[in-house]
Amino acid sequence: MKIPRKKFRAEVPSVAMGDIAFNLLIFFVILARAQDDSHLKWQPASTPTVEAVKNVGVSVVIDIDSKLYLNGREIGESELASAIEKLLENVPAGRRTVLLKVDRNVTALRFEPVIEAVSKAGGDLVHILEEKSTPNAQK
Amino acid sequence: MKLRRNSNFLIEPASAATGDIAFNLIVFFLVCASTQPDTGRKQIIPRSESQAKQTEQTQNLEVALDRTGVTVNTEKIPLADFPSRIKRKLQGKSRPEDRIVVVKSGKDVPYHHWIAITGAIEEAGGIITLQLEDERQVQVQ
Repeated sequence: MKIPRKKFRAEVPSVAMGDIAFNLLIFFVILARAQDDSHLKWQPASTPTVEAVKNVGVSVVIDIDSKLYLNGREIGESELASAIEKLLENVPAGRRTVLLKVDRNVTALRFEPVIEAVSKAGGDLVHILEEKSTPNAQK
Repeated sequence: MKLRRNSNFLIEPASAATGDIAFNLIVFFLVCASTQPDTGRKQIIPRSESQAKQTEQTQNLEVALDRTGVTVNTEKIPLADFPSRIKRKLQGKSRPEDRIVVVKSGKDVPYHHWIAITGAIEEAGGIITLQLEDERQVQVQ
């Protein structure tokens, strides 16, 4: 006579699914934030006319303390051109946009070499600015 | 005789659903945050000018910036007059090489001032060329 084996069913309780999804989401959000520059502090300069710009892969920030960041990571001025070049390696012409976010009070001594580096790397420069609400509103 | 009211009308959502609610809230805020568009101004920087070309550009318009002011070909101009003045200077110049404007900035020129001046030059049809400290020029279209 064959005695049937007792089957042990192991199931993940469905109640925990929400918590699992929540934790996964937090994990990916933190991962994404490492490449994001939204945590950096900078105040955009204003201009009378602006156009909408698609968010692209390369963004350069010079923050309120004149520190330089490439895609959210601090970088030296001398390494910038080669780092951008590497990021744009396989990107076809016309889609090599580099967003430049410079704090309004940063001086030319800091931002001009950055513009030069973007030029050297073959990036299409886009200054991120805000629309001036009233004429002569600049501080 | 007093009748007791039934006060058990409170209906609580199932606690099992709180995880899902939190999940949906996070997705909602993430989508909101990621669709915030950036606005700005394009500047195409095709190449750095060669040393030989620099000498040819001595006849181009020269705009020098200091911390708060602007000078066009050594003539100090009030900021408010700059857009009309640069437009006038570039009027009638159809060839791109004639519309080149060399921008020299002092070390202490703030970005918002630089953006205002270069914006006015571009609006007037000028092609911006930056003259950097080490005398290298970057052409901006």
